[in-house]
Amino acid sequence: MSPAEKVLLIPKIENGFVIDHIPTGTGIRILNLVRQHRELDTVVITLGLHCTSRRLGRKDLIKIQAAELPRRFLQHLSLVSPGVTVKRVRDFRVAEKVVLEAPELIDDLLGCPNPNCITNHERGSGTCFHLVDRETRTFRCNYCERHFGQAELGTTLKF
Amino acid sequence: MKRDLISVEDLSPAQIREFIDLAGRIEALPAAGRCRLLEGRLLGVLFYEPSTRTRLSFEAAMLRLGGRTIGFSEVAGTSVAKGESLADTIRTVEQYCDAIVIRHPREGAARLAAEVSRLPVINAGDGANQHPTQTLLDLYTLQHLFGRIDGLRIALVGDLKYSRTVHSLVHALARFAGVEFLFVSPESLRLPEYVRDAAERPVAARETTSLDEAVRTCDVVYMTRIQRERFPDPLEYEKVKDSYRLDRAALANAPAHLRVMHPLPRVTEIAPDVDATPHAAYFAQVGYGLAMRQAILSLLLGGLP
Ligand SMILES: [Zn+2]
Repeated sequence: MSPAEKVLLIPKIENGFVIDHIPTGTGIRILNLVRQHRELDTVVITLGLHCTSRRLGRKDLIKIQAAELPRRFLQHLSLVSPGVTVKRVRDFRVAEKVVLEAPELIDDLLGCPNPNCITNHERGSGTCFHLVDRETRTFRCNYCERHFGQAELGTTLKF
Repeated sequence: MKRDLISVEDLSPAQIREFIDLAGRIEALPAAGRCRLLEGRLLGVLFYEPSTRTRLSFEAAMLRLGGRTIGFSEVAGTSVAKGESLADTIRTVEQYCDAIVIRHPREGAARLAAEVSRLPVINAGDGANQHPTQTLLDLYTLQHLFGRIDGLRIALVGDLKYSRTVHSLVHALARFAGVEFLFVSPESLRLPEYVRDAAERPVAARETTSLDEAVRTCDVVYMTRIQRERFPDPLEYEKVKDSYRLDRAALANAPAHLRVMHPLPRVTEIAPDVDATPHAAYFAQVGYGLAMRQAILSLLLGGLP
């Protein structure tokens, strides 16, 4: 894909990140996810909907003009939308890119859906979920040991 | 590195074997040798909910090995009742003792305690999650009764849906070669599929609603309590409760080597007339539990024979 196609609708960025290959129609959901992360409150963010893509036909994309993406944000993004590509842009060029996979470990990002889990009762306790089945995207709470699907976990952001 | 005992899922087959072998070695020791193993050591016994049996078993195990215990058996009147966090209680108690046993109504509490503490932590039950010393004592009981665990045919009877004892036991037994299960329960209390799925090897099992088949064809019948409150419809409870009641007459067709186990306390699921039969193993099981808890304490506290 040529850089010319990508800047058709939204401005090229000098430095920052592009979250690319977002399935069309889910861009706004991802934007809402971005906005849950306070660290990104003051950075310039642009949303592209229905961009043309060689791979997907149409796609959504989000540009974030931040120096770094917070680790918790990336875990969250890979949990909710595995398969998207994150590109680092330096001097208008893509310097690095990774396709996000379901995370192996979700570290102090999400609350446990089990109401009787100690992490929902002990002040200041962290949470931790391990991926136990990549195919079904099932995670296990390190504390109560219950298993949860990605959809169930994705809604329990802890802040 | 300190060693904790939080969940059977953490244990490798070799580690399970280590506990079983050690329990056997401790039982074989003369009392005079046994009572020196943990001399001068102090165990913190923190019971955030009452469980008299489990607490007595740990305390007896520690005292019999020459150690001592401190602790509480319910939170009323303690700093916990004043709102102290679990982490703070652990950090306080660890200043006094050499290891901690914890029972807590919230799932994951023992794991959290183990993370906070520099001492070995033993989980004596965390809500509906784990009770690893029960599982280990069940395994040790089987080893004692049959001289092996591999290849046994074991019926698990009663509330297979909610019983954490059953879930942990299935998980642990599935690691032994050739163990076959017969799951005996009312339709509404069947073993959840995720329990079988979580086992490391495919679980060789059949399901039935017939206790009689279990008695006739298995080496072990492991009974559990069926609680009335588990049934949405009280009528359904009335219908099934007696079909999962074992009495002497029901054992008429049992092979001589059949043994009946139960995590206790029992209510009505095993009639008192079974107690005097050679099949009854549930009180012996309590004794094997003492040996297993001695093994756990001695391994984690480094007082090996
Ligand atoms: Zn949990």
